Amino acid sequence: MSEESAFEGQLGASETPLSEIGDTKDDHALLVDRTRRLVEETRRRFPAYDEELQAVLARFDEPLRVAIAGKVKAGKSTLLNALVGERIAPTDTGECTKIVTWYQDSHTYGVRAHMREGGDVPTLPFRREERSVTIDLGGRSPDDISRLEVDWPSSSLRELTLIDTPGIDSVNAEVGARSIEFLDATERSTPADAVLYLMKHMHASDFHLLEAFHDDEVSQPNPINALAVLSRADEIGVGRLDSMASARRIAQRYETDPRLRRLVTAVVPVAGLLGETARTLTQNEYTLLSELATVPHKDLEPHLLSADRFLEASPETPGTSLDREQLLGRFGVFGIRIALVLIRRGVVNSSRELADELLKRSGVIELRETLSKLFVERSGVLKARSALLAIEKICTTEGESADDLMVQVEQITAGAHPFRELATLAALRSGTISGRPADLQLLERTVGAKGTGPAQRLGLDDDADVSAQRTAVFTQIEGARRLAESPFTEHDLAKACTVATRSLEGVLNSTPDDPS
Amino acid sequence: MSQVVDDIQNDEMMATLELAGQACTAYERPDLGKRMERALESVTTTDARVVVVGEFKQGKSTLINSLLNVNVCPVDDDIATAVPTAIRFGERFHAEAVVLPRGEEAPEPVSWSLTAAQIPMMVTEGNDAYPEVEVKGVEVSMPKALLKSGLMLVDTPGVGGLGSAHATATLGALSIADAVVFVTDASQELTNAELEFLEQARQLCPNVVSVLTKIDFYPAWRRVLELDQSHLQRRGIDTEIIPVSAVLRRFAAKHNDRTVNEESGFPRLLSFLRDDIVGNAAERARLRAASELLDVSSTLHSHFETKLEALTDPEAAEAMLQDLRDAKERAELLRSGLSKWQIRLNDGMTDIMGNVDFDFRGRMRRVVAEADETLSEGDPADTWAEFEPWLVNKVSQEVIANYRYLTELASELASDVGDLFADAGTGAVSPFLDVSSPEMLLDQVEMRDDIDLEKKSLGSRGFTMMRGGQSGVIMFSMVGSMAGLTVIAPVLIGVGLIFGRKGLKDEAERQRSMRQSQAKNAMRKYCDDVSFQVNKDSRDTLKRVQRTMRDQFGERAEEARKTSSASLIEAERAAKLGAAERQAEAKNAKAELARVAALRAKAQELAGLPSV
Repeated sequence: MSEESAFEGQLGASETPLSEIGDTKDDHALLVDRTRRLVEETRRRFPAYDEELQAVLARFDEPLRVAIAGKVKAGKSTLLNALVGERIAPTDTGECTKIVTWYQDSHTYGVRAHMREGGDVPTLPFRREERSVTIDLGGRSPDDISRLEVDWPSSSLRELTLIDTPGIDSVNAEVGARSIEFLDATERSTPADAVLYLMKHMHASDFHLLEAFHDDEVSQPNPINALAVLSRADEIGVGRLDSMASARRIAQRYETDPRLRRLVTAVVPVAGLLGETARTLTQNEYTLLSELATVPHKDLEPHLLSADRFLEASPETPGTSLDREQLLGRFGVFGIRIALVLIRRGVVNSSRELADELLKRSGVIELRETLSKLFVERSGVLKARSALLAIEKICTTEGESADDLMVQVEQITAGAHPFRELATLAALRSGTISGRPADLQLLERTVGAKGTGPAQRLGLDDDADVSAQRTAVFTQIEGARRLAESPFTEHDLAKACTVATRSLEGVLNSTPDDPS
Repeated sequence: MSQVVDDIQNDEMMATLELAGQACTAYERPDLGKRMERALESVTTTDARVVVVGEFKQGKSTLINSLLNVNVCPVDDDIATAVPTAIRFGERFHAEAVVLPRGEEAPEPVSWSLTAAQIPMMVTEGNDAYPEVEVKGVEVSMPKALLKSGLMLVDTPGVGGLGSAHATATLGALSIADAVVFVTDASQELTNAELEFLEQARQLCPNVVSVLTKIDFYPAWRRVLELDQSHLQRRGIDTEIIPVSAVLRRFAAKHNDRTVNEESGFPRLLSFLRDDIVGNAAERARLRAASELLDVSSTLHSHFETKLEALTDPEAAEAMLQDLRDAKERAELLRSGLSKWQIRLNDGMTDIMGNVDFDFRGRMRRVVAEADETLSEGDPADTWAEFEPWLVNKVSQEVIANYRYLTELASELASDVGDLFADAGTGAVSPFLDVSSPEMLLDQVEMRDDIDLEKKSLGSRGFTMMRGGQSGVIMFSMVGSMAGLTVIAPVLIGVGLIFGRKGLKDEAERQRSMRQSQAKNAMRKYCDDVSFQVNKDSRDTLKRVQRTMRDQFGERAEEARKTSSASLIEAERAAKLGAAERQAEAKNAKAELARVAALRAKAQELAGLPSV
């Protein structure tokens, strides 16, 4: 019991004078700073790990690493292209990605290969083609390459380095194993700071894979660095025009599924193909679509019945079969239908407008926003987490001589407010804290489930004015305190309230004084 | 085999069966007449169960709706099918659900009548419309031409969904299948999990056809088809893949467009179902009927043969009377509880019950040991979600293995009893009074026929009998009944150790071991529940088999008694007749014998045996 109270005392954050509490940004900066210092210390103590730890330090200055994972044909490469806005990752009907491939921003174009047996290949020849970038492995077997690094100057990659992974549950077991090996958190260094998990439906095997990623020591099963994407959302209604709305409903249902809640922060529906095409739409494609849109609906409908019919030569359909085949490959049946409706109804009048509209409908913009709110704004914390994980692994290997470092890792993990927020969030989402659903939902939001900005924490619109913010903060602090002090509140819930109060105080500090 | 040849053979068979039935009435043998009636019924109502399986959200329900051109199985973007739905022919629409009341120790299934609108409430996931019961299956009868030939389509919950019990329900449905339609969509090539499921399904029912759905939506479906074919080939799975489009089928139905219908791929699938599946089942039914016919006509034939002999050869009559008395005695003994076959049947059943029970206990012990070890290795807070489906799947595999063991033993016993029965009936002196075991002739037919009658590794005779007991509402016995059981997830206490884990290491350790023991308890409870259910089910199944066998053999013994006693009466009467009367009667008997001989010849022809 004495241990428990000491522990309470150590964490008595809400008793810290308000003036000393930083806002979210300060918290994050402080955490990164502490972690960096600990990495430095570890470097001094264990020079054997110097190279590895230098890489850990360098990561703080690099973009956040987001892995795109999922089963075979979940649409990982397509989504990657949609996020980057260029067709760089190769996509195909058959299983395609066979090697873990990093796409990172750079000043120049280039491809490197890291070999399994060491000895990297600094430059690999590559060709940029219409469909993708083709990399010449120079006769090397994919089995021997641990990863490819593609340098690609792109503003979309400035904040995030995207990592494409081979599909898991590949019929070729070797290929799937490469991804599991890459994502398995039990490896010494976790190459990715966050994971985008793509799935077509919530399949039991998706669920198992998601669980596997979370099995790490620093933060236990933690939903905070994972986001589920209902990819290929346009296929859910098999091409019906309301497919995206249907996908959104399904995503919402998944988000409330208790089994999934403890594994991911959010579920976002995305029509990857539509997004990719929208961001790379050509004038020729727009022209062909406009011509198609001039054909009366009832004449065109029989040709849109099936992909095969659309490709058949007929007087009603403009363009050559080959043109239409390419169009179909790029848009899919759903994309063509929706584009035709948009053009016919005059919603869009140029390729630019069509691209914008399709991108909006593809859900890619929403995904980017979610990524930014949940990952990018929290990137310091996620990187610190990866760094601590690396140190912890070293400590475990070194045993007793590293015990004091382990204690420090422990102190940061347990003491730093951003981590306590993550832990609270994890506990709330895993359902181990009981309380009224409304209270739990509020707490979840306060500790950053929807993002770490003041508006997201308070549940206000992004453009809410200062006085509304202040009112909300005070009401919510009051609410959290009252809940924490209530004799009917269980211990775990009270602790979560304490963390939330501290988060709200941070929000208050970042809010300018009320002008009135 | 073409439909036309089928139809002609069918007509001939039915005409002959009717004729034989009339003969039985004329010769005052209603017992034999009843057998002919039953045979006639089995020829006219073939039962071919086609179970549609696949991963969830591949379009199984849509496929069935499109086959029938009616929306009977609920289809939704999100909510998946949760219980098997059987659709068969009926003159009027009728639907009922088999439900188990919750909260009872050993609940008995109850049928509920449903309206069409209630079907979705019963078969889809996450429906709490009737929380007081557990829905086990739904059966729908509807007047559809496709179903009239005896085809029954069974929609199953997709495997791989989050509701882990579904896989069991699907395996249960597979255990009664005559054919399996495996559904995969054209969005991507077959996955490892699908291929593995396909292999598992093939073990339960080797008659599999694959269907590639949604080919209207995926332009690259031909590539996917090629990839799928090569995956199947590599695994040595020999099944045809039929590409189909429900969208085109719907359009075709709406506009009555033949070309589009061809394009939809459905005609190919329909002809597979009609010719290969229903056709085969019909052929099997026909062969069974033929063997019954042969048996009955042989009995009649031997009766007139005896009669004629007694009439034409008074010197031999005395010896014959003795033979007939012996035969009658033997037949009477056959009916009594002291006969060898009855003793063997009763003893055998007791043995089987013991063996099957022992086998299952051993299997469950191994599962529990393995599960125990798994739970001891990790923290159930992390592993439970993965563990639960593993457990359910593992247990269901063991149940299936045990079920197959049971069927094997039961068929062995059936054949043993059949042999004893036949031996006891066979007298050295009058072979014409042989009592045939009910399944004996069928055996001969099966042996020499090249149609794959033994397509089930389950030993078709024993299996036939067991299946015979299931009529009306489908009861997925054994495997099906455990679909109703779920693992009750343990309330995993204290995962909330989130603030400062290391500081409270001992506490963490303690809570972890508490979670482990909770999880183990939940696992044991589940295994106990399954054992209880399976035990009850295997007992019920065996009792049903025993009853069926006792009744069938008993009936046959009674027939034998009647035949021998009728022959005895005739022979005794013949001995007392004057020469002139005898001659007149002999003439009549000769004529009757000729008629019966013609009937027997026809029966031999229909059974495909060379005429004697």
